[in-house]
Amino acid sequence: MISNDEIKHLGWLSRLELTDEEIVRYALQIEEVIKYLNKLDSISLSEVEPVRLKKKISELRKDDVKPFEGDVLEVAKNRKNGYVKGPRMV
Amino acid sequence: MVNLCSLTAEQVVEGVKNNHFSAVEYISQILERIEKIESQINAFTIVDANGALKKALSIDKKIRDGEDEKKIGSLAGVAVGIKDNICTKGLKTTCASKILEDYVSPYDATVVKKLKESGAIIVGKLNLDEFAMGSTTEFSRYGATHNPWNINYVAGGSSGGSAASVAALECTVSIGSDTGGSVRCPASFCSVVGLKPTYGRVSRFGLISYANSLEQIGPMGKTVADTVMVMNSIAGMDDNDQTTLNNGAPKYTTQSKRNIRIGLVKELVEGIEPEVSKCIYSAMDVFSKSDCKCEETSMKSVEFALASYYTIAMAEASSNLARYDNIRYGFESNPDSYEWNAYFAKIRSNFGEEVKRRIITGTYVLSSEYYGKYYLKAQKVRTMLKQELSALYKIYDILIAPTMPVLPFKFGEKIDDPLKMYMIDIDTVVANLTGIPAISVPAGFSKGLPIGLQIMADELQEQTLFETASLFESTANVQRSPKL
Amino acid sequence: MFRGVQNYNMIDGIKIGLEIHCQLTSLQTKLFCSCHCDYHGKLPNTNVCPVCSGLPGTLPLLNQKALEYAGLISLALDCKIPNETTFYRKNYFYLDLPKNFQLTQYNVYGITSIGIDGKLEYDGIDEEKHARIRRVQLEEDPGRLVYENNDMDSSFYTLIDYNRAGVPLVEVVTEPDFTTPKDVRIFLNKFTSIVEHLEICDTKLEGSVRCDANISIGEGKRIEIKNVGSFREVEKALSYEITRQKTMSTHEIEIKAETRHWDDTRKITKQSRVKEEEQDYRYFQEPDIPTVILGNEFLSSLKTKMPELPNDRKNRFISDYKLSEHVSQVLIDNKWLADFFESAVKIYSSPKEIANWIVSDLMGFIDENNHHHNSQASMEEKRSELKVEARHIAELARLVDQSNISRNTAKMILNQIITTGEMPSQVVERTNSSKIDDKGLLSEAIESVFRSEKSAVSDARLNSKAANFLLGKLMQLTKGRADPKIALDLIKKKLIEPD
Repeated sequence: MISNDEIKHLGWLSRLELTDEEIVRYALQIEEVIKYLNKLDSISLSEVEPVRLKKKISELRKDDVKPFEGDVLEVAKNRKNGYVKGPRMV
Repeated sequence: MVNLCSLTAEQVVEGVKNNHFSAVEYISQILERIEKIESQINAFTIVDANGALKKALSIDKKIRDGEDEKKIGSLAGVAVGIKDNICTKGLKTTCASKILEDYVSPYDATVVKKLKESGAIIVGKLNLDEFAMGSTTEFSRYGATHNPWNINYVAGGSSGGSAASVAALECTVSIGSDTGGSVRCPASFCSVVGLKPTYGRVSRFGLISYANSLEQIGPMGKTVADTVMVMNSIAGMDDNDQTTLNNGAPKYTTQSKRNIRIGLVKELVEGIEPEVSKCIYSAMDVFSKSDCKCEETSMKSVEFALASYYTIAMAEASSNLARYDNIRYGFESNPDSYEWNAYFAKIRSNFGEEVKRRIITGTYVLSSEYYGKYYLKAQKVRTMLKQELSALYKIYDILIAPTMPVLPFKFGEKIDDPLKMYMIDIDTVVANLTGIPAISVPAGFSKGLPIGLQIMADELQEQTLFETASLFESTANVQRSPKL
Repeated sequence: MFRGVQNYNMIDGIKIGLEIHCQLTSLQTKLFCSCHCDYHGKLPNTNVCPVCSGLPGTLPLLNQKALEYAGLISLALDCKIPNETTFYRKNYFYLDLPKNFQLTQYNVYGITSIGIDGKLEYDGIDEEKHARIRRVQLEEDPGRLVYENNDMDSSFYTLIDYNRAGVPLVEVVTEPDFTTPKDVRIFLNKFTSIVEHLEICDTKLEGSVRCDANISIGEGKRIEIKNVGSFREVEKALSYEITRQKTMSTHEIEIKAETRHWDDTRKITKQSRVKEEEQDYRYFQEPDIPTVILGNEFLSSLKTKMPELPNDRKNRFISDYKLSEHVSQVLIDNKWLADFFESAVKIYSSPKEIANWIVSDLMGFIDENNHHHNSQASMEEKRSELKVEARHIAELARLVDQSNISRNTAKMILNQIITTGEMPSQVVERTNSSKIDDKGLLSEAIESVFRSEKSAVSDARLNSKAANFLLGKLMQLTKGRADPKIALDLIKKKLIEPD
């Protein structure tokens, strides 16, 4: 059972402000989804290893500088003296 | 002047390069077509008429100046639409979300860069479910895309705009992204060809991530040959994406082969809508008549595929979408005086319904107490599926299945029941979980609604995939392009 | 009485563990993109690209050299290196994180970090000790937050600079094997020397080495101390924390598990605001970075690249140069000194004499007036003011060895050349030929210097150190013939006279 409080906590961890109505609705819907995902319970965890893409060190990026040309933060709407402006940390 | 809009990419390139018509003439007709029918289809989020005409002019000039074939490009004059979750420099990339409503990327995605270099003309950005999360394109901030075969029906998703625009002759070919079937589903619903390449075959640089370990960018077109042409332009290793595969992409062709060993995965046909399964069995007959060896086969762990898919997709999504906090980019809003946690939560509540649902579910399955129960097991399912597939591909060259277990349906039919909506991805997710290439080709109609056949090959066996699809295409002869 | 014993045991059972963060400043580029690794002195947000500023659609591009450097640290700390290494996402929201997750490594669901299970021996206060190394891992540095008037609480907004975001960090985590803050300092000195010898991190750069500590006393709960900006401060923060906890237990106040921040200006630890807890980080493997195969090839390539480490160097100093254990230790604790010593020995082979000059005299100049803020940075500042190079010390040693000058004279010469950079032989030649020690003559010359250097004179009245400048001028005027000792006395006397 997924409680409304649990949805609220998940909302906090995901930084999503949820209305009371949303909390109730999500609790029911996500409960349904999670019930379906519980199918995975019947698989034994042992034998198989997860698949991973593997590469050799030599295939990774070389340590050569290539500065980006253009203004990366041009799209930032709130700026001051070159800094990007964000909310208070208090 | 004849109607050029119904031409395939092959015919467009041929026509433009041999001066049968100019790129400007072709693009002008495409833009007129968009103007005429877009209000019925809603395939685009943005149409870039000026940019497209400018590029068409420059291609015509290159041809007039007699520049060499390479500089003109293998896709010269082709009108391509880009799903609006793929970054285009100077043209908005919105993901059909409030969160990115104003976003203009300072760089081109690798596929976009490659298409431009091939002489393709970008006509605009295509509609999708917000951040590609959905199977109907109903979850778009810009409204749903309508199915060109019957505008009261969904076009499929999440690349609904990519499929509908090709079917409605609003562009020659298009680019979509496929995380759990997002290219193949709308291809099936709109009766076009849609490919999900092998994981790592096409660069994801510039594709706005939904679920990184599952998704690939893929081409859509009216014919198999058109998707092959686009693949030849976009495939290959990329320094900007360390998950691209090192071995160079071959030049794919469309020659059709016979004597293919084909297995129909019975778990993917069982319990689906009867009209669809009937169509798939008759597709099997088509192959048999072309000297292919066809039989039913079984893939047991398919049972867990959907649960595995949604666990991984939502987990990765919850983390990928954390960056949308309106600090570096986003919509107009002033952060002054807000406490930062409250600001983040307020801003992020502007995600749409489905996106929020997936973020919360993803956060749930990743939490430390459930990690072993869901995420870890979901990863094991991928291995199980891969092991089963590698045994099957020793026996068969190709596996087939329906692309979708259902016919296209009406708007709103599944939108209030998330699980019901998720269930329709059952046939497509196997390819994403295992990384194999899969293509949807038009297989027929029922009640005037399209049905797609899904063809799946082993990892990196795109060539076999194209040969099988071409064989089916030329033998089955399914109608293309609805009347609009 | 029983109670007293118990309390004593509690105080006795101090367990300290460290999390050291060390920027790989010798790299050219960041950990996951091709921006400059060196962000110092750049205008805000000018050292960024779509990847490190977390723009949509970008993918991390792992720097191969960063793996190599982390591997070198691992080997130097006696760690095992697994066959494969993988990156994880640590998910939490914070204003300095462009993606709202940090790319790091994580060993809970299987070993993925570059090094594990190492140890480092060090000379504890009264015995040889060692600390076990739990893991060595790579991760990315976040951006930097700046507040108007440097005051977080009164600012209505926060200013963010992403220049540092993505700079490669090696995190070294020890087991809680330390029992006193002093041992921690000795360990950190040794660690610094190792990192310097590996030439992967310039520890003198501001913010290049940072240290978090965790401490528990007796059966008390574990307290984390974060935000300690330099290694020097760690000892102070720990001592403060021990006193605080002792006081609390004397008053029978319960010590709760918490994270505290070191307040660098007030020199106290403060309770931090609640952030996500460990169980909320939702770690999972980064899908965009392939698992990297390390294997034997990596290990053997590291071994060929491994430079001489402080321990080996110390042993070589003892056996080859016949230096004492103590002198060798002092030299290798600071790579710059050890290098200085060896360069001097190369010029003139008298290791003992040279080592003595460095350890007992030269170090004195570096340490002078530095007792209160003896950070790596201020030591570096002091060092760069010195005009003395290896050739000076080598020559000084030669002059003494060949009995050209007495040790006292040599000291005086050193005193002089430390600011002028003259060669000792030049000074000797000059002073021997015609030293001016006549007070009358000298006073006349000083008068003239005072007239022409009015502002320096007023400086020197406030700050006696500036008298050296006047001495230098006098030396110029007299072409180096003034007796420095007498002259300096006269200058100082004249400075306290009224105008």
